[in-house]
Amino acid sequence: MSRALMSRNPKISRRTVLRGAGVTLALPWLEAMLPAATSHAPKLPVRMAILYMPNGVREDMWTPAETGRDFTLPPTLEPLQDFRGDLNVLTNLWNVAAKGGDGHYVKTGGYLTSTTISKTLGVDVNCQGVSMDQMAARAAGPVTPLPSIELGTAPVTTGVDTNVGYTRVYGSHIAWSGPTQPVAKEIDPRNVYERLFRACNPSKVTGREDVLLLDQVRDDAARLRQELGTADRHRLDEYMSVVRDLETRLERAGNNTGKTHWKPRARLDSAVKPEAMPEKHAEHVRLMLDMIALAFQTDSTRIATFMFGNAVSNEDFTFVDGVKGAHHSISHHQNDPEKMRQYQLINRWHVEQYAYLLRKLREMKEGDSNVLANSMIVLGAGMRDGNKHDPHNLPVVVTGGAGGRLVTGQHLMHTPDTPLANLWMTMLDAFGTPVPRFADSTGVVPGMLRA
Amino acid sequence: MPGRTHLIALLSFLALHVTKGRAGSFEHTQALLTKYCTACHGGKASAGGFNLTGLTSPESLQVKQTEWNRLLTRVRNSEMPPKGSPAPALDDRQDMVAWLETTLRRNACAAGFVPGAWPMRRLNRDEYSATIRDLLDVQVDAAHGLPADGAGGEGFDNAAETLFISPIHAEKYLEAAKEALDFGAKDPKSRKTFLLAVPGKDIMPEQAAAKTVEAFLPRAFRRPARPGEADRYLALFRNAQKRGETFDHSVLLALNAILISPEFLFHHEDANTSADPVLANDYAMASRLSYFLWGSMPDRALFDLAAAGKLQEPAVLQAQLERMLKDGKSREFAERFVSQWLGTRELGRDIKPDEKLFPDYYDAETQGAIRYEPVLFFQEILATNLSLLNLIDSKFSLLTNKTAKLYGLKIKEANQQPKVLEFPADSHRGGVLGMAAVLAVSSYPQRTSPVLRGKWILEYLLGTPPPPPPPNVPALKDNHAGAPAATLRERLELHRADPTCATCHNRIDPLGFALENYDVLGRWRTEEEGKPVDASGQLPDGTKINGADDLKKALLARKDVIIRNLTSKMLGYALGRGLTLSDSCTVDQIAARVAQENYSAQTLIRGIVMSVPFRYQPGTIANTAVKEVH
Repeated sequence: MSRALMSRNPKISRRTVLRGAGVTLALPWLEAMLPAATSHAPKLPVRMAILYMPNGVREDMWTPAETGRDFTLPPTLEPLQDFRGDLNVLTNLWNVAAKGGDGHYVKTGGYLTSTTISKTLGVDVNCQGVSMDQMAARAAGPVTPLPSIELGTAPVTTGVDTNVGYTRVYGSHIAWSGPTQPVAKEIDPRNVYERLFRACNPSKVTGREDVLLLDQVRDDAARLRQELGTADRHRLDEYMSVVRDLETRLERAGNNTGKTHWKPRARLDSAVKPEAMPEKHAEHVRLMLDMIALAFQTDSTRIATFMFGNAVSNEDFTFVDGVKGAHHSISHHQNDPEKMRQYQLINRWHVEQYAYLLRKLREMKEGDSNVLANSMIVLGAGMRDGNKHDPHNLPVVVTGGAGGRLVTGQHLMHTPDTPLANLWMTMLDAFGTPVPRFADSTGVVPGMLRA
Repeated sequence: MPGRTHLIALLSFLALHVTKGRAGSFEHTQALLTKYCTACHGGKASAGGFNLTGLTSPESLQVKQTEWNRLLTRVRNSEMPPKGSPAPALDDRQDMVAWLETTLRRNACAAGFVPGAWPMRRLNRDEYSATIRDLLDVQVDAAHGLPADGAGGEGFDNAAETLFISPIHAEKYLEAAKEALDFGAKDPKSRKTFLLAVPGKDIMPEQAAAKTVEAFLPRAFRRPARPGEADRYLALFRNAQKRGETFDHSVLLALNAILISPEFLFHHEDANTSADPVLANDYAMASRLSYFLWGSMPDRALFDLAAAGKLQEPAVLQAQLERMLKDGKSREFAERFVSQWLGTRELGRDIKPDEKLFPDYYDAETQGAIRYEPVLFFQEILATNLSLLNLIDSKFSLLTNKTAKLYGLKIKEANQQPKVLEFPADSHRGGVLGMAAVLAVSSYPQRTSPVLRGKWILEYLLGTPPPPPPPNVPALKDNHAGAPAATLRERLELHRADPTCATCHNRIDPLGFALENYDVLGRWRTEEEGKPVDASGQLPDGTKINGADDLKKALLARKDVIIRNLTSKMLGYALGRGLTLSDSCTVDQIAARVAQENYSAQTLIRGIVMSVPFRYQPGTIANTAVKEVH
């Protein structure tokens, strides 16, 4: 009998068998770095999303003049008027690890890891860390059908950038499940919907068969592994690791192990099934944001990252009134007042989309509150002024109270060059997966976590 | 040959050298190292664990290749000297880098040809789609839900180093295999390809399933099945039968398991356990060939030749590559290679001409004709074994009535189908530089850019990308209110007046200005906004060129640089990884052969297929050269 079938024997855990076969499934360093999930998590699930804007912002229109609770929203943030009480504007944060290198890649690949990516055309891609969202997903464990979702609007940018010596893989990923493992994005809203749908409506029959199939894969891989050298084993282990994760999820969905009893918190309405790959950027972005809202509402996942565009995105923004060009070109405004005006319009458009998501989440009732109140939704960029590729004082806003864990409605002014990692650390804490330290963090953001 | 003189100087430099020693020599390099590096890396100082004391003799270039390579990489990437420390002038740096590269390469090549690693890598998205298509004979894109792959190495999305695996891959592989198999089982033609038997009077379900699985497995794994291997998958069939599933469902489950096995999803070859390199086995060779020239699995003929042990015979390889290039599947190679080499894949993705300004591009037929022109052109050159110099200038292209119209050409034979058509006299076309796809991808959405186009030529054709702009580039000072609007040319001239900018822009801008007669879509123009187009420029050595025809002459004088660049790109694509220093010996050898044989396209393909890295597998001792090439 094949081991795949033998392992259905409840007396022998399949995992024990595989461990016996010498299959390393989790990297030890990662285990050591992982925060422990805390038991005093709030009753309603806390969610987090990070929305990444390429190409920075026009600096004189982003930061409120006043600090504290009494501040006026500057022109670019005006669309957030409705959410003034729910947001935190953070000023003077930076990622020291992204100050050198080139204009964009270092500030994208390392955005959520707070590390310096290795300069390479590909041979030794290494972002030197785990991104904050993936760390939260690992620590929280499989509490939802999907540990996290990674979304975007553009496929990985093709080619390698020989001018600066980086593979464009770096500019196309902010989520890293390990230093050498960028997490691929979904860019087709239809596919995301179908993924959520399957997560919410697991089929016991196909689920059971899928588990059998995945068992067989692991059996194959264990055999193959014995023939491989170290480098090739690493690749194979990557595949085995995602296969194992999928199998665990399917088992839980099929409720074979009975550890948790996940149920969708809301029904996924098939009427909201989006079209596949919309042509227009604005529509594409809206649909992807809709998917984040649906994922959070149904509790299919609690963690999402979204890239409005890849680093150096030159998306045509003429669809915005008053804009006559493409994103990256305009971001190099060279202090030309006309270009700066258009740059700000593009920034503002991003803030409007962010507000669209916030509104949607707020309209989703949850007990006495709503999904937004139980979330932390970040809008940020890896650089400030795109013309200068400025790494200081990164533009970042966080909206939502994380189920009461966060104080909101304030503009928090830090001393210049305070680590952005402090915000990531604060969010990990509010999410219920605190860490003693995150990259170069020096502590949580003062005045943000409720005692 | 008037082009030759200016082009020899095109990429060399005019600035005065600040150090002693002939530019690009052992003495020149040592002088630079002494001046800029020894403070931190000389004597007892070993910043970053690196010391130059052992690198002061010419012999060290032989015996300390690893250290010299490390130094070369850091200096070439402008990572050393570190920011804020005194650094050599750009010209000095580049002369040193060029000399070091050549010297180290010559030394590395003296040892013979070394086959690099053939790392295990997964099928990329396109390969996965094509392999499922050929395996099941289904016309569906099974990869539609898979994420796009990033690029590494020489810039292609089949590079082993950047073919990562994300959680989504596991999900999608499972779904895609199921969908494709279900689809295939319902289609009579496809079904015949892979479902070889159903139970009947003479055949029991178990036997019928075994027949199917035993035939499927070696095709899917692209090698003969091992003893007992099929039985492992048949266990799934039996299990499903016990549960009362139908025959079809049960056998498809076994096939499904095969399609998510790492042995299907990954390129993987049996390890060579001997110390020395060996010829790759015949099945490995079949896959190397078919994924290079078809982007898919080997066909019956390749499998048969592998089974007969003939795929390492030069005459057989020659016949096969000719056959493969004539097969329609070579379109996939042309598409993937050309669109990534020339960067035209980004057209319609991150780079889109402005819809309001260039509505012509948004006609579906025009767009298709634009995108496919370089691909079909390249495929034609390969299949009919024409000169690769056609890439620089040609008398023909693959045109439809739409592209002919776009280019303002009166060609009666042009119709909806792209076909080989000769350009009329004075068409200003020929070669990739006259193609809309190339001209659009090197423009901004709203306007042309001599800088982007110049950079495109340096990077994609010549393989000598200019370095990024230095930090703190001064803004162009031409935007005061009330000042007359300066033309782009005037603004760039101001830019070049700044010595920091001039070193690179003197090289970039004139190349791009020569193409100014083409608009964003590659349409010919003699006027722009009421002013005559000025396509003149001066190359760094002072030679004047005017327009695309002069430019192409100039580039033809640099044909060997372009062919060498093409060779290294294609070798990187064929090997599915970034090239190393020892691979550059192979590149030199192939490029020289191509030049000898009148730049014939198939000489390039043959050179790659017959090369040591393509045919051999390294042994357990790294960097061992092949003693006697078979």
